[in-house]
Order: sequence, then C-alpha cells, then structure tokens
Amino acid sequence: MATARPIRSMDPYAEQFWAFTQKKELRLQKCSACGKFRWPPGPTCDKCLSDEAEWAPIAGRGKVLSWTTFRRKYFEEYPAPHTVIVLELDEGPLFVSYPVDIDVGSLRESMVLTLRWTDGQDRFGEYNLPVFGPPSV
Amino acid sequence: MAVRFDRERLGSLKDTVAIVGVGETDYGADYRGAGGQAAKKGEARYDHYTLASQALKRALDDAGLAKDDIDGLCTGPTLSGERACELWGLNPRWSGSGDAAQCIIEAAMAINCGLCTTVALVYGNAQRSMNTAYGGARVTGGGITSYFYYAPWGLTSQGALYALFFQRHKLLYGTTEEQLGAIAVAFRKHACMNPNAVMQKPLTIDDYMNAPYVAEPLRLFDYCLINDGGVAIIVRRADMAKDLKQKPIMVSGFGWSEENVDATQLRPRLKDFYHTAHRDVAAQVYPMAGVTPRDIDVFATYDSFSVHLLASLEGFGFCKEGEGGAFVQNGRIEIGGELPCNTSGGMLSESYMQSWNHQPELVRQLRGGLGARQVQGAEVAQYVHDVAGKCKSIIYTKGS
Repeated sequence: MATARPIRSMDPYAEQFWAFTQKKELRLQKCSACGKFRWPPGPTCDKCLSDEAEWAPIAGRGKVLSWTTFRRKYFEEYPAPHTVIVLELDEGPLFVSYPVDIDVGSLRESMVLTLRWTDGQDRFGEYNLPVFGPPSV
Repeated sequence: MAVRFDRERLGSLKDTVAIVGVGETDYGADYRGAGGQAAKKGEARYDHYTLASQALKRALDDAGLAKDDIDGLCTGPTLSGERACELWGLNPRWSGSGDAAQCIIEAAMAINCGLCTTVALVYGNAQRSMNTAYGGARVTGGGITSYFYYAPWGLTSQGALYALFFQRHKLLYGTTEEQLGAIAVAFRKHACMNPNAVMQKPLTIDDYMNAPYVAEPLRLFDYCLINDGGVAIIVRRADMAKDLKQKPIMVSGFGWSEENVDATQLRPRLKDFYHTAHRDVAAQVYPMAGVTPRDIDVFATYDSFSVHLLASLEGFGFCKEGEGGAFVQNGRIEIGGELPCNTSGGMLSESYMQSWNHQPELVRQLRGGLGARQVQGAEVAQYVHDVAGKCKSIIYTKGS
C-alpha cells in the first residue's frame, strides 16, 4: 500500500503530470512556440497563448526560496510538525514540495536541493510524489 | 501592463460619490454570547442573512434613509444577490458583488454612469456559527488555486502562504519575529479602545512571543479572528449626500490592480511581495485624490495576517522595501503615532469581516468624535486591500 496523501486537484492536464510520476519522471509543460515552462499544467501558454506544448523533463534541481513549518495538524496525513518548501527550479518555475534528509534548521536561502521520489495515493490512484533533498545524500 | 489607465478620466471621478451611512453588528457581544463566553465553532447561532440584515438596517438608520431610497445593491461573497433583494424587498437597477473595496469602486462607477444613485453594500458572515474552514481538507479556494493545489505535499491555508511570505522577508531583509509582533500588539491596543471589538484583553510583545506558532514563523496572534458579523455601507451620489443625517465622507480616490501571472506558483507572493500591484494602485489612487502617502492621517489594510501591513507599507511607499519591520516599531502605527493603522483593531482584534469592517472605521475617524480612539485632526484616510495580489485602494476625505 502506497502512502495516503491529501487529495490531488485533478483535470486533464494534471492527469498527464501525475501519470509521468508513475515512471518517476518529473515533466512540466514547455510551450512549443516560445519555450516558456508553465506550472501548474493547463491548456495555454500564459506568455503567447499558444496551445502547443511538450511535456519536457525537468533536471530536478532547485534553489530554496522559502519554507514554513506547520505546528498544527491540518491534514490527517501530515501530523505536526510538517515542513513545506518552495524552490525555484533551474528551468524557471517555482515549485512547492517538502524537504527530505535535511533538518529544518539546516535549510538556507538559495540552498540547492535535488529531486527524490516518495510514494503516494488518493482516490484517483497511486502515484509518486516529487520531494527534494540535499544533492550529496 | 502595456495598456495604461486614464489618469484624467479617473481624476474626474474624485469626490463624485460619498459614504453617507455605515452599520455593523455587535461583534464583541455576539462573540461572547449571553453567557459572556466565546461560542464554540460550529454552534450555529446566526446565518449570513441575519447578520447582513441587521447591518443594513443600522446603516440606513445611520444615514437617515429608507430602504426605498436604495436603487443599487452590492453583496459580499457569502450572500446571493437574489435572496438578499428578496429578503429586503428590493428591485435594484444595478447590482454587484465582491470585497468591500471592489464594491465601493463598482458602486462609484455605476453611480457615475447614471445607472443608480444610492447603493447599499452589504456583507454578512456567520463563519463562527458555521465553522467555516480556511485550511485543511475542506478548503475549496474561492477562486484562488494555491489555497488547495499543494495539498498532496501538505501545504494548505492562507496562513501558511503568508508564513512563506514572511519567511522570505526574514531571509532577504533580516526582519525579525519580534518586529512583526509590534503589529498584533498595536492592533490589540486599538481594539481595547473599541467597545465593539471582539478582543478586549491587552496584548504585550511577551504575550505575542510566548504564543504558539501555527505555521512557523507566524504565531497565533498573527492570525485574524473567526467570528460572526455583518457590515453595511451606503454609497450615494455626492450632490445628493449633502443634507442627510451624517456629514458625507467623500470617496476621493481609488485604484485597482491584480498580480495574477504565476500566482499558483507563488511567484508574485514570494519574488515580488505583490509590490508591482501595490505600485500600480498607488499610481492611480494618490494622484486621483491629489494626496501623497505623507498626507495620510489614518491607514487601514486588509489584515487576515499581520504580514499584510508590512507588504502594503512597503508597496505603497510609506517606507522602503525591506524596511517595514523597522517602520512598525516604537508606536509609529499606533493611535498617537505618525501613521495610525487599523485603528478599530482590524481583523486581528476587532472582527474578521474580510475588508468590510475597515471602511466604517475610516468613515468614523473622518466624522470625528471617537474619544480616546480618535486620530486627532484626521482629514485623509486610506484603505489598502490586498488578497493574494488582488489589490485595490480607497482614499476617503471630508471633501471640500
């Protein structure tokens, strides 16, 4: 049994994003006309309104912008304390995730973290959740 | 934005509509109930319409107007326009919906177009009675995707998004949690001078620092209240506002700008602190009213979280970017200080009316006679609205 997590927001574009995670691939839509990455996924490029896009692989490297630690339980699946981070991916988009293999006290502004995978499931099925940790581990 | 706003047309709307009446429910008494204790969340005592109706009647009484004088209606987000009109026996020539600042701007537009002359803006929210959730599994977002999209990673609640904002501010500028605490302390001090405020117990900076974190680095007192209440505001064409019960308070300036590109990614929140929207609104509202930040006598900001004040002070030019933490120290934002902010206690300590309770307070401050809570010589008041980068501002004056 994969780890139960709060429910994903699902639409036809999100379905494709999460389908790639089953193969442990982190892919985001990249506009075929102007090259802008977008996240969350959707039908058009916000820069040029093109509806042509490819699911481009993401290197899985980002710099820490900010974090917060929940001291109260908001979800049954995430007892307190639970820390969430926001990264700026090398490809441009900001990406929300949570840190693994690192203490909150060791997080630093602009620290580089890299992609890991952990399992997840909700009523839409099983998937893998992209999380981030120090490159050396 | 490639398309510029028209400063001349906007300027011509200065002082064309006035606030002629305001009404609010008994926030403190309703919160404490007959037994003097706070009602538990989910113990239904009120519904949205009960509170809204009470506020509307009070606003009409305050203005000395009858309901048949109303020909336009704006409702807050919890109310259905149809049901509200049916309940109050209104067939308006124009109606709108939104937050308080949005409704004031839209009412000004509708009145200036000639669609109507007298608009009632009405809000009611029984959020404590109904145990409304602003975080966790029951959150739907109300049109703001970042409020629910990251649930699989455990990110939820507007408070956590403002915690990310403040953490970024700390990292970039060295702002401290103790500096932030001055905001909650000041607003509580104001609430203690306001008999209608929910919170009546003084708060020291030690009380603030000793309170538990909710989403670190934000603590309990950085968060707004969850209480029941209603607010109504009567906006009327200025030339019809002169001989009523109250001295009219003019809507002298307004502005509107939204920063939505990459909003779900939190880019405008964390990379810009929403300052692009703030600067755009500042460029509209100050020239329209013919004032600068230095002329503002009373200031109020949307404050679901204390952090909002840092953002708006920096974004509207009351201090430099990154200096908000230092600015709010030493009583500067308290009544008697250089820039009294959220003088009713705001949403942190008076009532969480989602922008609606700030307007009656600014109107009252300009009318005068508030006793200890009165900002002496108040002539120009400003409200700044910023919910996830949807920014608006209103400047009120006594007119000429």
